[in-house]
Amino acid sequence: MFMTETKTSFPFIRSIRNNFFFWLFIIFLILFRFYQTRPSYHIGDRVRISGVVRSEPIRYDTAQSVKLAGLKAYLPHYPEINYGDFIVIEGAVGEKGKLLKPILINHQSSTNFLYQTRNQIINEYRQTLPEPHSSLIAGVVLGAKSSIPEDFWQALKKTGTAHVVVASGMNVTLVAGFLMNFLVTIINRKKAVIFALLGIWLYTTLSGFDAPLVRAAIMGSIAFSAQGLGKLYSAWRALFLSAALMLIIIPTWLTDLGFILSFVATASLMLFESKVNRLIPFIPNPFREGLATSLAAQIGVAPILYLTFGQLSILSPLINGLLLWTIPLITIIGGMGAIASLIHPILSLPFIYAVYPLTSWFIFVVNLFSSCNLTQPGKLLLPFWLFMPFSSGLSPLIPPHRTMLSSLLVMWVRVTLS
Amino acid sequence: MGQGDAFLIIDGSAQILIDGGPNNEVINCLSRYMPFWDRKLELVILTHPEADHFTGLIDVFKRYHVETLLGNGLKNSTKSYQVLEDLIRAEGSQTLFPKEVNHLRLGLIYLDLLWPTSDYLSTHPDVSKGYNNFSVIFTLKRGDFTALFTGDILPDVSSQIKGLTDVDLIKIPHHGSKNGLTQELLNATTPERAIISVGKNQWGHPHQEVLKMLESAGVKILRTDLEGDIILDLD
Repeated sequence: MFMTETKTSFPFIRSIRNNFFFWLFIIFLILFRFYQTRPSYHIGDRVRISGVVRSEPIRYDTAQSVKLAGLKAYLPHYPEINYGDFIVIEGAVGEKGKLLKPILINHQSSTNFLYQTRNQIINEYRQTLPEPHSSLIAGVVLGAKSSIPEDFWQALKKTGTAHVVVASGMNVTLVAGFLMNFLVTIINRKKAVIFALLGIWLYTTLSGFDAPLVRAAIMGSIAFSAQGLGKLYSAWRALFLSAALMLIIIPTWLTDLGFILSFVATASLMLFESKVNRLIPFIPNPFREGLATSLAAQIGVAPILYLTFGQLSILSPLINGLLLWTIPLITIIGGMGAIASLIHPILSLPFIYAVYPLTSWFIFVVNLFSSCNLTQPGKLLLPFWLFMPFSSGLSPLIPPHRTMLSSLLVMWVRVTLS
Repeated sequence: MGQGDAFLIIDGSAQILIDGGPNNEVINCLSRYMPFWDRKLELVILTHPEADHFTGLIDVFKRYHVETLLGNGLKNSTKSYQVLEDLIRAEGSQTLFPKEVNHLRLGLIYLDLLWPTSDYLSTHPDVSKGYNNFSVIFTLKRGDFTALFTGDILPDVSSQIKGLTDVDLIKIPHHGSKNGLTQELLNATTPERAIISVGKNQWGHPHQEVLKMLESAGVKILRTDLEGDIILDLD
């Protein structure tokens, strides 16, 4: 799987050229799995679905939305369904993957230790800090977005910062890095790699198997395994390999917006982040890194967001630049608070209170920009094809073959979403 | 918070929450007006167990320590009320009923409980027509200020309430429904201000005849559907 280096300037193209038949087989396998696992129901069919809830339900004013077997059902608020619970629901298949008139036939709260631990940590945050601080910490640390107040959620969406409080691949990287740096001080590197891998998957299970987390967990596992085995690691190969693995296991992710955004954002970061960072040396750190990260991700993500929601947050990179530096701190300090709360709730107080100034800054910035209408100057009614030369307009920034790749990614997204 | 009731009374570091509204919006309200380190509500009053009054309390009990709960003791058979009951049990709050206590004091705040009386509860065991007439009714006094909280009381019962006096503020019964405020209740209390806790609804609340009754009595009307949070500062 890992091969010798050649002199091609673009690693992924080199990888494809050298492993043409391998990737062809992978694509065939994904397509086979996609068609093999296609649901056998049609619109209007009455179905009964049972299973464990694998992504966090979202609570709205009047209902909670639960995803099961690729269908989304809006159920009454109570009984409250949590990530990890076993449920049986019945309803009619509607358009756009909705389950119409759903009835909850059975609900069994999870007795799994990990899921209970997750709920215990989230409750500790909720009992220690007011809203939206507690939801913000729970979202950043564990990807728990179910109880984010509606008005704050709208403010996050309006300012283009909602990605921060849902499951984020960056958290996996942080957890893995933190574990690795800590473990190598007490055990040898190979053992540390094994524990770091365990830590990555434990964290992913705790946080919910949302596509961005799984993507980051697989990429992280490949990186650490390569490190442990002394093999050469290619981020591009890891990115496409993790996409392939995910699609082979759960082919419906092919049309999951979180999956698409996660991969496009990661690809964009790998392509553009360092270049953008070099272009804005006049901005002081830590804001420069945040702005560079956000701008780089936006190159790929903005067209998708526009295609999906029909609007763009013009100031989103700036707002992200002001906020992203808080995320590692909230994750690490909030995470330490979570561990402390499992020993005794009172031990978690210093950590959770220490996060309060950071969440206050985050909430202040989000509310400030969402209250002034600069973020969305009306709907930008631009035709899709305008985004094709979007990347070309940044020619000093992007070499031609990478511009082509960006355009191809956008095309893929367009085809998938349509 | 939409169509429902929730009132937060703050005196120094002590808080009283009257009802929880129809959703968890009450949590945002508590977050806005309480210091971030204060996670205790000294008293929660549930006027009656209907969804637009108790649903928000579910999240309140999940997130705050509730020292004392005052309610009429009736139970609702819905799943959400069962969830609330489980949380109250787990919280271990002291529970009070109006038939057992007449007066309560919290710092400088005095509560006089007027309804439901023990007689009414014992002679009306049937709750199949709803819980409105079992609403906990009380006056809240602080210094010279007096407010009357009326839950969702209906006209046939409001005429039976003893001990009504002049008040500065009245919470209009039943979200401004024509099956709420009566001229008799208005004459007995002569309020200066009236709060109508109302949101978007299908019943036409607040009804024009209630608004006209208040206007003709020269009462200043404060509506949550028009003004959002209504804040009265007594100091």
